[in-house]
Amino acid sequence: MSPRLRILGGKATRPNAGLGFERRILRLVKGAPELRAIESGQVDAVIDPATGKAFLLPEAQQALREDQARNRGLFALSADWTWELDESYRFISHSSTAVGNGAPYEEGIIGRRLWELSFDMPEAEWKVHRKLLEWRTTFRDLELRCTDRAGEARYVSFSGEPVFDREDSFTGYRGITRDVTERRGVAPIPGNGTARAIISRQTAVGRKRPDEQVSGLEPKAAAQDRIANSLLAALPRKDYVGLLDGLEPVTLTYGMVLYEPDERITHVFFPVDCLVSLLTTVEGRHAMEVGLVGREGMVGISLALGMDVSSVRALVQGTGTAMRMKAARFHKGFEACMPLQRELYRYTYAKLAMARQTVACNRFHAIEARLARWLLMTSDRVLSEEFVLTQEFLGDMLGVLRAAVNRAAGALQQRNLIRYARGKIRILDRNGLEAASCRCYTRIEGLQGSA
Amino acid sequence: MRKLPRKKTKRGASGPPVTTVVVMRLYIANNAPNSVRAVANLAAICKEHLGDKYKLEIIDVLEYPLRALADGILVTPSLAKLSPSPAAKIVGNLSDKGSVLQALGIAELVE
Repeated sequence: MSPRLRILGGKATRPNAGLGFERRILRLVKGAPELRAIESGQVDAVIDPATGKAFLLPEAQQALREDQARNRGLFALSADWTWELDESYRFISHSSTAVGNGAPYEEGIIGRRLWELSFDMPEAEWKVHRKLLEWRTTFRDLELRCTDRAGEARYVSFSGEPVFDREDSFTGYRGITRDVTERRGVAPIPGNGTARAIISRQTAVGRKRPDEQVSGLEPKAAAQDRIANSLLAALPRKDYVGLLDGLEPVTLTYGMVLYEPDERITHVFFPVDCLVSLLTTVEGRHAMEVGLVGREGMVGISLALGMDVSSVRALVQGTGTAMRMKAARFHKGFEACMPLQRELYRYTYAKLAMARQTVACNRFHAIEARLARWLLMTSDRVLSEEFVLTQEFLGDMLGVLRAAVNRAAGALQQRNLIRYARGKIRILDRNGLEAASCRCYTRIEGLQGSA
Repeated sequence: MRKLPRKKTKRGASGPPVTTVVVMRLYIANNAPNSVRAVANLAAICKEHLGDKYKLEIIDVLEYPLRALADGILVTPSLAKLSPSPAAKIVGNLSDKGSVLQALGIAELVE
């Protein structure tokens, strides 16, 4: 029998729970189902309408305390030290999870930033780390080398996540540090080269929002992972770091127009997980897709070819993040950076070849096959089997009327290759869809791969 | 291009016939024992009887007590079914599967 039944029965089981507590509950809760639930010990908390606050029943309080103690135990197993940073990344606290276990880098840490301590890392790598912080990303396993009091080399690994308050404004970071010297074994003391290799493993994970706990049963954590743009990722690290300070992350939303034809290009975009469609317009009304840019490319390649106006309309058709760079900054970076030039010329070649293929495809192939190709290409770029598209939109993409799209989609659906309902498309059978698509799909993807 | 408003298409014109989606809110208190049990019980019931035909929002009243009050919830865990009507409310850790199904109005579908 639950102690709460006894509370309500007039006998307090805990001296501090007392009769006052019982009266308080009885005053607040009048409904029969609520009282029944309390009597059978199925209630954790009661909300007081007068104060607008929830308070826990004694049993739940006790359980949460125990839960927290257990978590602390687990936490101490996985971390050696915990810390907090303020909004300008200065340490405001640093403590160890076990008594008497001081960190080798700890002296005078409060009020200083991580890169102001005596760690062994090249300035360029710190620049990367500072960018990650500026973008409010969660970072994991930033391994750093330092020297302890005895003069021995030690390795510590930092992981941290941004903290936001209720109003969603950034208040700093909190995180943990582990001593990983033992795990790294008796590795020789590395020179700068090794330090670079270590640091390149620092990973960025998308920012966590404070309201995430209010969600369904299955967290969408995986969707938060940042995937880098592959054009940028292909650059040597030195060149990438050189471009970093010109890049800023922006969110592009479905339906946004980045450029109109003949409009001056102010920014170039490197999509991360969004999808941008390039459309050629005829008489301002009819539009047809001539290119599709996802994480493999860049929007605004005319700049690389010396033209500062766009020849196409660039329309966002998959919401997501992109890295944006000002046109002037891009010019400077492009001229100074050979690897970027090489990547972009190859990419431009692939785009051109793809546009040529599309022209022929649109002329000779059936709508159904073209639709299949287009769905496969979209899925490849958003790395997902499901996306949102209206029929009008699809019509524009393929340069046909809505009714024709409807028929083609219906045919693909009948063969159980896709599911299409209220603008949402899901690819059910990828191999089947590839078989249904025209050969242009493999050809275009082949061009992309070789570029 | 114009941003086109999403038009309502005739049901059944594309895709399988649309069945009703059950919309629910579950009010809990952090990781307190009954709350944890309620989430687990509800997850099991949804998986077994609703497939993906439901929408569930879980609200921690320790963080958002006013949301619970606005919905007339005084104790947690409590489950509120918002749609399809009639709205229903069930209090407790949802271990009595029969009464949960009845409150959700899916009892007859099961038999």
